Amino acid sequence: MSVGALTDSIGLRLPQSRRKRVLLTIRFAALLALIAAAIATPGFLTTTSLFSLLTTMSFIGCVAVGMTFITLSGNVMSFCLGATLSVTTIVFMLSLPVGLAGALIVAFLFSAALTGAQGWVIGYFRANPIIVSMAVLALIYGFVTLFTGGRGIYPEGSETDVLKGRIGFVPIPLAAFLATVVIGQFILSLTRFGRNLYMVGSNHRAAVAAGIVTWRTVTGAYVVAGLFTAFSAVLMASRYASGDMEHGIGYDYHAISAVLVGGTAIQGGEGSALRTLAGTVIISVIQGLLLLWGFSTSMQYLIVGVIVLGVIMLHTLGDSR
Amino acid sequence: MREKLDTPSGRPYVLLAAIVVIFCLVDWGHDRFVNRATLFSVLQQFATIGPVALGLGLTMIAREFDLSVGSMMSLAGCVAVMLGVEHPLLGIAAAVLVGAVSGVTQGTVMVALRLSSVGVTLGGLLTVGGIAYVLTQNTTIGYSRMDIAMLVNEPVLGIFSLRNGVAIVLYLMAAFFFFATRIGRDVTAVGSDPRAAMVAGVDVGRMIVGIFALSGVLAALAGALLSYSLAAASPVALVDALVPATAAAIIGGVSLAGGRGTPVGIAGGVLVLCVLRSGLTAIGVPPYVHDIVTGGVLLAVALLDAPELQRRLFALRRVSDLHGPVRVVREP
Repeated sequence: MSVGALTDSIGLRLPQSRRKRVLLTIRFAALLALIAAAIATPGFLTTTSLFSLLTTMSFIGCVAVGMTFITLSGNVMSFCLGATLSVTTIVFMLSLPVGLAGALIVAFLFSAALTGAQGWVIGYFRANPIIVSMAVLALIYGFVTLFTGGRGIYPEGSETDVLKGRIGFVPIPLAAFLATVVIGQFILSLTRFGRNLYMVGSNHRAAVAAGIVTWRTVTGAYVVAGLFTAFSAVLMASRYASGDMEHGIGYDYHAISAVLVGGTAIQGGEGSALRTLAGTVIISVIQGLLLLWGFSTSMQYLIVGVIVLGVIMLHTLGDSR
Repeated sequence: MREKLDTPSGRPYVLLAAIVVIFCLVDWGHDRFVNRATLFSVLQQFATIGPVALGLGLTMIAREFDLSVGSMMSLAGCVAVMLGVEHPLLGIAAAVLVGAVSGVTQGTVMVALRLSSVGVTLGGLLTVGGIAYVLTQNTTIGYSRMDIAMLVNEPVLGIFSLRNGVAIVLYLMAAFFFFATRIGRDVTAVGSDPRAAMVAGVDVGRMIVGIFALSGVLAALAGALLSYSLAAASPVALVDALVPATAAAIIGGVSLAGGRGTPVGIAGGVLVLCVLRSGLTAIGVPPYVHDIVTGGVLLAVALLDAPELQRRLFALRRVSDLHGPVRVVREP
């Protein structure tokens, strides 16, 4: 089987500009179809339905914006953001006796330190990011079982109830998600760190040659990922009034799905927080629609998986080569 | 002798010997470690992780990475348990076919669209996992043939069983093909330098598709046999196989940069993990210690394998030299 013949038969040997246009058309058509489906489905465009959808997606969204920084830095993904989320809910709940503000600070510092350390190992020694995140995943589970005996933390008291409320009419999780998107996009487009991150992600050698201290940029990306994951962690802990390793299961996969569906390139250097916002919204709208159409959660997993695979394949259409 | 042990394939066995010696010393006089039951448990775990690590390791030797093996294992288990009630062999055949189709599809997509394997197999991981969820409707399905469950785990000659026998035969076959035919050299060549391999006459595209098909088949076989032996299959339970399989492959001397590693080395890596787990259980250490040890070993290997490690350590030494006592340079 000749690779060239196969590529030709699928019709991918189009000139660069045509390919970009084809890609754009496919994206718009898919988006229009989704909007049409949303309008045509009775019961979808109601305030209650939309708010519950938005709140659920916010927890994944915060992690996804964090994951965007890791993907942009050229390190594909972290397999342990879900576990980081879980262990941060436990740390948050355990440190509640020092007061809500103190516990929040502890949770954010802990999460940022945990991912930041990985970022340092990956950036400074250029260790393989996938292996490092798998190692940390195993370490987190091991140490958490060592300290908690595998049980969740259920503290008494109601300090965290504040975090379950609303700001005006916006639920706090949604506000937090939007905040991460705004902060994330601000960092990416308006700071020197953000510009360096794109440079490091798209061409590591060129970044080194340009005098960027790449390990600092990579470590920074992981620290940001940890901070944004902590947003999700404290809100989740407040919502369920517990800290538990169950909370974050599957969040790494949900998050990377949202990042990729949004159009951030898996090889790094291209993408944004706004794209991840779009990806998160698209995935949750699809899941909401599937739910209303009577599909099971199992079917939702499959369809999201197929969409991610399709998006990764489509992305090459726009690549120059 | 020294040269032999210093090859990537030899190193895991040195580590293995060291671990066995440590366990023997810790367990001196208790007889919990050195017995038939521990050896049987080591081989049973070898049957679970071994084939997956072999497939994953081969993709890593070719400088690719197959993330989809984790969910392939659970999907294969579900397929086998659902179709294998009447004819258990049919269940296994169906599972292996699913593995092959998934591997060929992903490999073809990678080659035809020139995509990175991590991206494609990440999509594969989610899709294959989704199919498993749909097939089982997100529940654990039981396998009514207890006779088959007993049969695959029935000890033969004290330490072997049908299940670990299959894994051992797979490794022997892999080692034969790797060393006795040109396949091994071709895979290694593709991993070291795909362009040079292509110039040298290796059909790189076909090689990649073949390796991913093999990886899918091996994961499927391990998953099907594991589900038979547990008499149950679930879409979630087996996803955790990815981490130990990766750990086993890189402990076994497979380089993340591609082009290094052999089936014999990978077998050693798998044995290291299995002996660690069985040994820790045998001497009564709680199971979470195993997670910590696996994570620690993975992190250590990732660090040792990191391309910048040498340079960074050298830089650190130079800095300490500069700040240390001033050296007197003797004039000739």
